[in-house]
Amino acid sequence: MKILVCLKQILDPEVSPRDFQVDPDRLEAVLGSASLVTNIFCENALETALQLREGSDSEITAMTFGPDDAEETLRKAFALKVDHAYRIATPEIPHCNSAGAATVLAAAIKKLGTFDLIMLGRESGDWGEGQTAGLVAEMLGLNCVSFVDQIDIVDAGVHLQRQTDVGREKLVSDTPVVVSITNTETNVPRIPKTRDIMLAHRKELTTWTLDDIGLDEEKVTRAANATQVVELYIPEETSSCEFITGDSLDDRIRELAQRIANIVQSV
Amino acid sequence: MDDATRQVLWNIKHVWVMYVLLVPTAVVAGYGVYRHVRQWRRGQPSARFDRPIERLARVLKMAILQATIWRDPLAGALHAMMFWGFVTLLIATTVVMIDHDFNVPIMKGSFYLYFQSLFVDCLGALAMVGVALAAIRRWGLRPKKLVFSDEANGILVLIFVILASGFLLEGWRIAATNDEWSSWSPVGLMVARVSTTVVSVDALRTAHLIVWWGHLLLVFGLIAWAPYTKLLHIVTAPLNIYTSNLDAPAGSLQPIDFESAEVFGVKNLEQFTWKDLLDLDSCTECGQCTSVCPANAVGKALSPRDIILDLQRQLPAMGRPLSGHTDVANEPSSIIADGTPLSAEALWQCTTCGACVETCPVAIEQYPKIVDMRRFLVMEDAQFPRTLQGALTSMEQRGHPFRGTQASRTDWADGLDVPHIKEVDQPEVLLWVGCGGALVDRNQKSTRALAKLLQHAGVKFGILGRDESCTGDPARRIGNEFLFDTLARQTIETLNSHQVHTVVTACPHCFNTFRNEYPQFGGKFEVYHHTTYLAKLIGENRLTLDASQIGTITLHDPCYLGRHNGITDEPRQILAKVSEAPLIEMEQHGTQSFCCGGGGGMSFVDEPPDQRVNVERSKQALSSGADTIAVACPFCTTMLEDGVGALQSDRKVVVKDVAELLWDSVENSNAAKADVGDRDKS
Repeated sequence: MKILVCLKQILDPEVSPRDFQVDPDRLEAVLGSASLVTNIFCENALETALQLREGSDSEITAMTFGPDDAEETLRKAFALKVDHAYRIATPEIPHCNSAGAATVLAAAIKKLGTFDLIMLGRESGDWGEGQTAGLVAEMLGLNCVSFVDQIDIVDAGVHLQRQTDVGREKLVSDTPVVVSITNTETNVPRIPKTRDIMLAHRKELTTWTLDDIGLDEEKVTRAANATQVVELYIPEETSSCEFITGDSLDDRIRELAQRIANIVQSV
Repeated sequence: MDDATRQVLWNIKHVWVMYVLLVPTAVVAGYGVYRHVRQWRRGQPSARFDRPIERLARVLKMAILQATIWRDPLAGALHAMMFWGFVTLLIATTVVMIDHDFNVPIMKGSFYLYFQSLFVDCLGALAMVGVALAAIRRWGLRPKKLVFSDEANGILVLIFVILASGFLLEGWRIAATNDEWSSWSPVGLMVARVSTTVVSVDALRTAHLIVWWGHLLLVFGLIAWAPYTKLLHIVTAPLNIYTSNLDAPAGSLQPIDFESAEVFGVKNLEQFTWKDLLDLDSCTECGQCTSVCPANAVGKALSPRDIILDLQRQLPAMGRPLSGHTDVANEPSSIIADGTPLSAEALWQCTTCGACVETCPVAIEQYPKIVDMRRFLVMEDAQFPRTLQGALTSMEQRGHPFRGTQASRTDWADGLDVPHIKEVDQPEVLLWVGCGGALVDRNQKSTRALAKLLQHAGVKFGILGRDESCTGDPARRIGNEFLFDTLARQTIETLNSHQVHTVVTACPHCFNTFRNEYPQFGGKFEVYHHTTYLAKLIGENRLTLDASQIGTITLHDPCYLGRHNGITDEPRQILAKVSEAPLIEMEQHGTQSFCCGGGGGMSFVDEPPDQRVNVERSKQALSSGADTIAVACPFCTTMLEDGVGALQSDRKVVVKDVAELLWDSVENSNAAKADVGDRDKS
């Protein structure tokens, strides 16, 4: 089975609140002293793919769309022994959203040929739009199953499982299919072996420009313009404390209950 | 008195048989030792023969004077009695050999009387007492730390019979020859008197002949058998002490050459150094290491003694594929195995506190071997506890091990006006805050206290702020030497780029890394632990303070300050200035302190509620009766505060860093002065 895993490098979501800043003009987060990390749900997707490969004759290709720094995400994927890795270099597009990213990824996937399974994280830890998987599937004309947490390869294609509000849903799909992966107990990302980390830097990594995949900046920008970021700011945290007064305990409880009821009604 | 002597080999004929028997004895014993030497030589290289004078001094102290064995007074006493007894008997036998075999008549006169008769008799008797005590201990008291084996029983019985028969021979010779100098051999004389009341002198003569040959066979038998038993330590212990780690009495970790290493860490015995293998053969099974192991004390699986003995048990099969595993390209299976003392579970319980190494009477380095095996589990196998994976990933991605912290590197300094080191003109020191001091809420108070003390003393200092990163200590002890290597080189580069020469830090782990480990990577800095630096400032009268009535204090010595770096006086000097009440010492303190449970990456592991090292140490601290538990390490602070909290003592006991207590005293002093000033004005 040919598996493609799309990985996104993001600004560390665990950066301390004080170190997190945004640029209100560029409408982007500022890197500052934060680190760049691979999006956790993408790592869950990669882990799921690695587990699938263990039980089958499969090949994994990792792909990312990002600046030079994003190579590190692919090197980490190489350390976990993916077979191939491709980076599509990001042009200067302010806030390239899911639609922009999906346009790029779909074009690159088309160029690479067919995959049986195209896996993405369910959403990214920075913008959290959660649209890329669906849009890639749409652009490639494939089925999409989202929020999957377990995949089994069967003769007919794949068995996919996901948690819903009312129970577990099991689906059968033929391939190729696009799935978005969510985190679960069984797909916690593994730690690479040190020797593999060292070897990862010697593996051959392919970098494409938009031109290489038949796109240009304008096409991507046009796709990305499907949504606009109007304003970006860090909400100010305020807190206040008021002691409920009253003559008796019953009065205070009644007053407190009334206040809560008011708040509930106003919401 | 000048003609005092005795007849050597009295009553013995065909003495040549003894010399003939000596040959197989030497061959069997020699082969026994050679087998081991051959195994050690298959280990990896390790430079342990420099500084011979220091090494000999250590052998004198630890082997000849038996210094470390006295930690267990009974074991120390009985071993010293047997050791010195047998050494004396060996010298006496050598004297006989020189006199008789080399025809140098030295066994006469006052030397014969004072040494060869009286002294040897007394020391022989002392050895008998030692054997008796050992028997009482082994068969009566049965301390948990001993290994109860047939071999150990056999050795004890054999030694007793050899000593006893020696005295019988002496007594019967005195009786039969009517020795005029017999009063110089009190034990022999006693045996002579008792014996003659029971049997005739002729019968004694016959018995002497039989027992003499029996005694000889037993002695030769013991010599031949010794290298095949734990008595091998007679040879290996002095050698192991001679080649011990001179620079780190509590053990140290060595870097890996990642370009050339075939295996990262230790999977099989072959990856250990020859010194590690010699360690295994030096073990006397005394159990001292396990008896001081904090993990073992709270009921965990880890037992450093059993790790050493299990590795020793595997030594003969070294390099050979274990049965049933030959199909795997003839590769021997890993020494780490579930259900043995070398289980991954046990290896992940070590806090690297170094108590095992520090207490070992024969200088075995136990915990560095545990870290060697962790290296394999982490770097080659990539199998280890998930919380530790989180800490390592965080160190790799964010430069600190505290996943999910909300703090930034400089939150603690709010309102204190602490500058970045690059903004300070000719700084005296860099204040290295460390992850524990900056990113854990509780410790920010200690860090603030330290910064205020430095400001108060007028020290020109700066910090690295966001340019600071983890020194790599937890990574190294968890076993990710590759990550440590990276972090160490980065930190050294950062410090060099800011032209830092002198570093002060409140974290003993950072301190130890700067002081003992960065030199391995070319980083050489003058580094002070904050207690040392603050004691220096007090000595230079740069801090004015008042001892106050804050009640009683006990001090918890951090392992990486006391045991690993020998710094135990300075924190006490400061506390003596802080409180009027004398310091209350816990039973385990100084270099023999009991770990808080947080070292070796273990503060990132969830311990079972009934097996928490920090709770055990907190119990000890609470039972000292002190009102304040003084600490000198951010990890110890949080571990002990959690421990004290979990115990829910009736008394209110606080855990405070030495810097916090000192700052309180400085503030008291300032307030007192302000009061005086106000009164003067009015």
